Amino acid sequence: MQSTDQDQPSVARRALSGSVLLAISLAMLLIAWGYPVGTLTQMGPGFIPLVVGFLMCGLAVAIIALDVNSTNTAQAEQIHWRGLIFICAAILIFAALVDALGLVVSMFLAVLVSQFADDQVRPLTALIYACLATLGGWLLFILALELPIPAFWR
Amino acid sequence: MFKKLLMTLPLTVALALPAAAQDSFPDRSLRIVHGFGAGGNADTVSRIMAEEMSKKLEQPVVVVSRPGAGGTVASGYVSKVDPDGYTMQLMVGGHAVAAALYNSLPYESVEGFTFISTLGQFPFMVAARAGEYASIEKMIEAAKAAPGTIKIGHSGVGSTQHLTGELLGLRTGADFIHVPYKGGAAASTALMGGEVDVIIDTGTVIRGQAEAGVYDILAITSKKRWPDAPDLPTVSETVSPDFDVVSWTAIGMPAGVPDDIADRIRSEVHAALELPGVQAKIAALGAKPGGSSGEQLKALIEGQIAVWTDVIEAAGIQKR
Amino acid sequence: MVDQFLLGLSVVLQPHILMYAFIGVFIGQLIGVLPGIGAITAISLLLPITFHLDATTSMIMLAGIYYGSQYGGSIASILLNLPGTPSSVVTCLEGYPLAQSKRAGLALFVAAFSSFIGGMVGVAVLVLAAIPMTLIALRFGAPEYAMLVILGLLAASLIGTGSQIRSFAMVVLGIALGLVGADATTGYYRFVAMPELADGISLVSLAMGLFGVSEIIRNASRRSPPGPALSLAMRDVIPTRAEARQLAFPIVRGSSIGSFFGALPGTGAAIASFMAYAMEKRVSSTPEKFGTGHLPGLAAPESANNAAAQTGFIPTLTLGIPGDAVMALIIGALILNGIIPGPRLMVDQPELFWGVIASFFVGNIILLLINIPLIKLWVLLLRIPYQKLYPVVIVMICVGVYSHRTSVTDVVLTLAFGVLGYLMKNYRFEPAPVLLGFVLGPLLEDNFRRTMLLYSGDFTVFLTRPISAVLVACSTFLIIFAIWSSTSVRRKSVQSIP
Repeated sequence: MQSTDQDQPSVARRALSGSVLLAISLAMLLIAWGYPVGTLTQMGPGFIPLVVGFLMCGLAVAIIALDVNSTNTAQAEQIHWRGLIFICAAILIFAALVDALGLVVSMFLAVLVSQFADDQVRPLTALIYACLATLGGWLLFILALELPIPAFWR
Repeated sequence: MFKKLLMTLPLTVALALPAAAQDSFPDRSLRIVHGFGAGGNADTVSRIMAEEMSKKLEQPVVVVSRPGAGGTVASGYVSKVDPDGYTMQLMVGGHAVAAALYNSLPYESVEGFTFISTLGQFPFMVAARAGEYASIEKMIEAAKAAPGTIKIGHSGVGSTQHLTGELLGLRTGADFIHVPYKGGAAASTALMGGEVDVIIDTGTVIRGQAEAGVYDILAITSKKRWPDAPDLPTVSETVSPDFDVVSWTAIGMPAGVPDDIADRIRSEVHAALELPGVQAKIAALGAKPGGSSGEQLKALIEGQIAVWTDVIEAAGIQKR
Repeated sequence: MVDQFLLGLSVVLQPHILMYAFIGVFIGQLIGVLPGIGAITAISLLLPITFHLDATTSMIMLAGIYYGSQYGGSIASILLNLPGTPSSVVTCLEGYPLAQSKRAGLALFVAAFSSFIGGMVGVAVLVLAAIPMTLIALRFGAPEYAMLVILGLLAASLIGTGSQIRSFAMVVLGIALGLVGADATTGYYRFVAMPELADGISLVSLAMGLFGVSEIIRNASRRSPPGPALSLAMRDVIPTRAEARQLAFPIVRGSSIGSFFGALPGTGAAIASFMAYAMEKRVSSTPEKFGTGHLPGLAAPESANNAAAQTGFIPTLTLGIPGDAVMALIIGALILNGIIPGPRLMVDQPELFWGVIASFFVGNIILLLINIPLIKLWVLLLRIPYQKLYPVVIVMICVGVYSHRTSVTDVVLTLAFGVLGYLMKNYRFEPAPVLLGFVLGPLLEDNFRRTMLLYSGDFTVFLTRPISAVLVACSTFLIIFAIWSSTSVRRKSVQSIP
C-alpha cells in the first residue's frame, strides 16, 4: 500500500468506500431488475429490493460527495495483511474439513493455522497449544454439550 | 454430559444399561435428519423417536437439524448420503408439497428414498373467532355473497395450511384473500386481533383457543370425522364432498438401504410407536399415531404429490 | 394478583423445583457465553429431559435457560465483542470499549446489575399488568408493526458514533442483506446464489462475522498495549457513588422501554435494546461519550433486553401464542405434557402459570448471586494473552455457527462478513446498524406488504389507526430532531474552530 500522503488522501481514495457501496447497490438493482414488481396491493418480490436499491444508491452518492468535499477525512488504517490471511485460512480450513473429517481434525488445524496470524509465534508452541485447545474443544462440544457433529470421519 | 447428568436426576428414569448387542448393525451412532428449525414439531417428534430408538438399537440416535427451503435442503442431503442405514430422515407433509411446488429439486421425491413408516397423521382445522360464523356453510355463503372480502390467514406461502385454504376456495367456488404470516402462531394472533377472519391450522395452534371459547372450530379437513374430536363436522360432509387433507410425519432413508436394515429400522419404529408414552406425546402434538409399511407410505406420498400439483396449478401459485 | 404470586412462590420454593430453576439459569448463563450457541440450541438439547418432568418443572427450567442466556450473552459481548443475539449487539457498543480500557469487571457488574433490575421490573409488569399488556399487543396489526419497525430503524441510525448518513446507509445495507432468500410473501427466490441461501443469511453468521471475526483480524497481530494490570479488587468492580447515580435513570428508562416492547410478539427484545440505547444518547448531556465505554449506554439496553425477556412471556402465557422460536420450544414442552396452551392456562393451571412467573423472580435473584462472584473468573479470562485467546475464540465461533444449521456455507459467510466488517471499520462505517437493519428489514417488508394486501393499497391506514398514527408522529419527531441537532452540531463545530 503506497500511503505517501498521510494527511491528504487523494480524491479517488476518499471516494473509495462510497464507491464500493454504490457498486453494491447497482449490482443489487441489476439483479432485482428482473424480479416481478407487482402492484401496490399485491406487491411482487421485486418491489422492495428496487426501493432499497435506489435508496442505497442515493445514500452512496451522498457519502461520496461528503467524503470528497470533507477536508478532515482520516486516512484509513493500514490493512493487517498477516492477520487477514491466516484468520481467513483457518476458517476456510475448518469449513472445508468439518463435514468430511469431523470436528477434532478441523478444530486442530484451525487453531494451529490461526496462531500464525501473530508474527511472533513459535511453531512448536503453536503445535502444543493446538493439541491442548483441541482436547478442550472435544471435552466441551462433544462430551459436555453433545453437539450433533461427528468427532471424526466415518 | 449435561444431558446425561440431568437424565439421572428424575427418579422415573431407570438407567438400565442394556447387555451387549447381538448383531453388528448398528455398531455406531445413528442420525435422524430433519429440515426444520430446532424446536418445531418436526424436531420434537424426531427427538421423541430418537430417544426410544436409541434404547432399542443400543446406540445413540442423534437429531440433526438442516433447515432450509421448506425442508428440501435436508431431503437433498439425505437422498445423497451413503445408504448404510445410519442416516434417517424425519419427513413431513411438506415433502409432497415441495415435489409439487418446486420447479427443480436436488433429489427425486419418491425414487430417491427408502420409505420406512409413517409415524402419525393429523388433520387441519378451520377456525374463526367465536360467534363470527355459525357453521362452515355460513362462512362459505358469506364468502360467496361478498367475493374477495373474507381473509384466511395461513402460516406461509406453499405451506400445507396455505394450499388447504386454496383447495377450499377452489372446491367451493368461494373467493378468499389468502394472507401469509410467518408461522401458525402469528396467523393465530392476527385472527385474535381481527386482522383476518379465518385460519386453517393444526390442533396445536387452534384447540387451546377453542377450549377457552376464543375460537369456534368450523370444520376439520380429514375425510372422516376425527376420533379425538368426533363432534367436529368435516369439510367433506358439509361444503365440499370428498375434501380430504391430512398431513403426516414419517421416517425415510436414502434409496438403496439394504432390505434387512430397512426392516430392522421399521420394526424398531413400529415398536416405539406401540409405547403408550410415545403415543401420548405424538397425540399431544395433534396427530393420530400410527405406523405403516414402506409401500403404504410411498402410496400416500405419491397421492399427495398429485393433489398438490393440481392445487398449485389451479390456484396459480408461483412455482419456485 | 399478590395472592396468586405468593401461590406461585410456594410452588417454586419446593426444593426440587428450585433445583431445576437453578439448573436452567445456570446452564443458560454458561451456554449464553459461548459464541453462536444460543438459547435455542441449549433448550433443544435439554428438551428430552423434560419428557421425564412435569409441565411446571419443565417450563421453569426451559424458561430459566432462556433468560439465563440473556445474562450470558452480555458477558461474551463485553469481553470479546461477540454478540450472540441482536439485543446484545448494543451491549458490545459500550461494554467492549470498557473491557479494552481494563474496566471489564465494572462493565460486567453494571451489566449484571442492570439486567437484574430490568428482569425484576419485567416480572412486576407480568404480575400486575399481564392482561392489559396482552390487549395492547393484540391491537398491533400489520400497519402498527410496520410503523414500529420504521421507528426502530430510525433509532438505529442514531446510534452510530460517526455521521448519521453513514449509519443510515448501513441500516439500508442491513435491510438489503435481509432480502436474501425466499420472499416471505410469494416464496420467490431473491439473490439466492446457492441453495443454502434459500432461507436467507443466518443472523449468527452476520453477527459473529461483523463483530467477532473482524475484531480478531484487527487484533491478532497486535501486541496488547502496556498498561495497568487488570484489577480484581472488588472496589474496582463496583461503580463509584457518582457513577451509580448516573445509572439510576437510564436503568429506569431502559426497563420501561423493555417491558413495553417485550410484550409485542416478534422481535421485541432487539427493538427494545436499540431504542433504549438511542433514547439514552438523545437525552444525554454528553452524547459524544457514547461508543467509548459510557456506563449509561451499557446499563439502559441491558435492563431493556432483560425486561423484554420477561415480558416476552406475556403472549406465551396469557394466550398460548409463542412470540418467538424459543417460546415455541417452551410451549412445545407444555404440549408434550398434555397441556394445551391457550387463554385458559391461567384459570385451569394456576400453579403452573403463577409458578412460572414466580420462578422468573427467583431466577433473576439466582442469576445476580451467581454473576457477581463469576465476574472475577471472567476478568481472569482476559489475563490470558490475546495471542492465546483468539485461536480458541475463532474455533468457538466456527463450531457455534456450524452447529446452528449444520451448514458449512454459514461458516464461510461468517468469514466473508468478518472481512467486510474489518474493511467497514477501516472506512468509518459502523457494523451495529447493519445488524438491526438485517433483523428489522424483513419484518418491515412483511408487515408493509401485508398492510397493502389487507387494506387494498390504502396508505391512509397508517394515519387513521390510532397506535400507528402515534408511531408515525414519533418517527417524524425523530427525523426533525436529527436534522435540527446535526445542523446545530455543525454550527457548534464551526464556532470551535479557531
